[in-house]
Amino acid sequence: MKRPTFALFVGPSVFVMTALMTLPLLASIVLGLHYITFRNLDAPVWFGLKNYVDVLSDREFWDSLEFTLIFIAATVPARMLLGLIFALLLDQIVRLRGLFIAAALVPFVLTPVVGTLIFRDMFDRGGPYWYWMQQIFDYRLFMSNTTVPLLIIFHNIWTATPFAMIVLFAGLQTLPQETLEAARVDGASWLRQLWHVAIPHLRSLFVFIALISIMDSYRVFDSVFVLTQQNAIYDAETIMYYNFQVALNYGRLGRANAMSVLTVLGIFVVLIPFLIMTYREQLEED
Amino acid sequence: MRKLFLIIALLVLVIPTMAQDMSSCDIEPPDSSQTVNMIGWTYPIIDLYADELEACNAVDNIEVNTQLLDSGSAHDQLRLALGAGGTPPYDIIMVTQGDVESYVAEGWMMPLNDLIDKYEEEYDISDISGLADMTVDGSIYGLPMEQNTRHLFYRPDLLEKYMLEVPQTWDDVIAACGVLQEEDSIVIPFTTQLHAGWAWRIEFSDMVFAFGGQLLNDDNTPAFHSEAGVQALNKLVEIVDACMGAEGLTYSIDDSQIGIATGELAMAFTWASRAAAMDDPEFSDYVGQIEFAPAPRATADGLYGATGGTGAGLGIPADIDDDPELVFQVILEAMDVESQIRASSVGVITRNAVAAQADARYLPAVFDTINGGVEGQNMPAIGAVLNPVLDNWLPQIMTGDMSAAELLDAAADAYTTEATTQGFIEG
Repeated sequence: MKRPTFALFVGPSVFVMTALMTLPLLASIVLGLHYITFRNLDAPVWFGLKNYVDVLSDREFWDSLEFTLIFIAATVPARMLLGLIFALLLDQIVRLRGLFIAAALVPFVLTPVVGTLIFRDMFDRGGPYWYWMQQIFDYRLFMSNTTVPLLIIFHNIWTATPFAMIVLFAGLQTLPQETLEAARVDGASWLRQLWHVAIPHLRSLFVFIALISIMDSYRVFDSVFVLTQQNAIYDAETIMYYNFQVALNYGRLGRANAMSVLTVLGIFVVLIPFLIMTYREQLEED
Repeated sequence: MRKLFLIIALLVLVIPTMAQDMSSCDIEPPDSSQTVNMIGWTYPIIDLYADELEACNAVDNIEVNTQLLDSGSAHDQLRLALGAGGTPPYDIIMVTQGDVESYVAEGWMMPLNDLIDKYEEEYDISDISGLADMTVDGSIYGLPMEQNTRHLFYRPDLLEKYMLEVPQTWDDVIAACGVLQEEDSIVIPFTTQLHAGWAWRIEFSDMVFAFGGQLLNDDNTPAFHSEAGVQALNKLVEIVDACMGAEGLTYSIDDSQIGIATGELAMAFTWASRAAAMDDPEFSDYVGQIEFAPAPRATADGLYGATGGTGAGLGIPADIDDDPELVFQVILEAMDVESQIRASSVGVITRNAVAAQADARYLPAVFDTINGGVEGQNMPAIGAVLNPVLDNWLPQIMTGDMSAAELLDAAADAYTTEATTQGFIEG
């Protein structure tokens, strides 16, 4: 491909990436080096690395990072496992498949805050799950530092599993039938076919889902905001939620930007193994 | 048939005219189209004021939209909208005294002094009580539309059943809870609102004042970690342990209102703005059976343990693109004497001229608390720095990891560091 043609193809996306990703990131780096509140927006004060030092020595930052990592560890595998199960079930049915897909996608397409409010109302006092728990188990469900973190995790699994399901279902449609036939002829059970044929075939998709899910989970905000109602007692702050608090409640915009930069670095660190796996797969394919 | 059509046609013509008479808006129509957007949080008196604001839709070239959410969502949305910078999507914002402190510290609100001077004669603005609650450093940022305080709601039948007196002090409340735990028809004997950080802050602040303490010293250094502060926080923990338990900690203002009105609770310490609903059969299963008393005192000879005054007012954001004068007039039309007479049936209004005409049965407890309650503190450093610190630290007392003294010392350190960095305390 000639260089001008290549530039013509690549140029628009480079422009968009620069405008929407690189520049904001650079701005965050610069702002993170300043003392800025809502009162001195027009005259930021040079702060050097103090914001970074403050963030790294802030107990709450580490607490929120801890919950974020627990959240990732709980939700990402669950999304992938449930996504696979639902994709396999979907693969087995032909009639009304479209209807099932549409129904499964409802939580995924709902506006996050609206979806979380509905979700909370179902479990909150007077909601259907609250009522059933009381009727069946004589247990009064209420928000606590046990239930709220669990609900945040369940909510994320509920909303994000359809994404994994759709991707894996698409992958199952490309499963080579000859290999499956051969496995069947060799007497492989359904489980062995799944383990030795389907899952290896879907491996690159699992890596892709894991990448997206980790990035998504690292940035979770809406559900934490709605379900905790900004109450520290629930012990369920994520990095993004704490970032919001620092920026809007404390008005420390410089520190919040420093935290954003550290978050980007954190996501990158967590993603390194997956990026290496993707790179190796590419090399194998080439 | 023709008669029926005639009657319907007449009704179609007459009913809107009557409705306009109910809520009038006497503003000179602007030359060009103006859209005035209001945001607030819903409860009966605010719903009524929202209708009064919307009455200005009858004026040519004015479109008034009101958006009423629950209080938490409205506060969140307001902070996001105002904090985002640029022209805010709202021209009228509902604010509490605490909100005014916070928003003014961020530079988000417009001072109204000039407009008040200009329209004093036309709207008798000085008749509105509580303007001082919306004042920061001499500038008035909001017009109070409702007075509010917290006071005790209780079920006299249950107190009589267990031969309990109406609680006068927080210790009385705690003692009554011990007895009322036996009552099977209720879920929780008593709640106050500790469901969120900001709710803890309000309870704690009032309790500190009730024990004779202050939040900050005059030089903005912390004072809330004093002996009064420790007593206040310990008292809140005692109340939770004796009365509320883990489930009671989750009761919001709405939950408390519903709880007392549906028989889940025997007593509640909540906002006067929720009292009118107790006698509304649409909201209450115990119409006429819920009584009201002033806020409990921290000590037998102390003041009532709740700050009183302006519950909510309407203000104007700093950088609106509509004509502030028009927006100001829309607000005042919704707060004129006629509007407040209507509002007095569902809440505590702010015009002195109207107060004498209101006769809701919860008002004595409300006015006793407002007139004999503790005084709050109104300082920019509270809104800008202290409130988020307290919001974050106070609920953590329930983890049991720290004593009240340790927690307040840690919060005081956090506040001092932040307030010094932000220039409120001289380094």
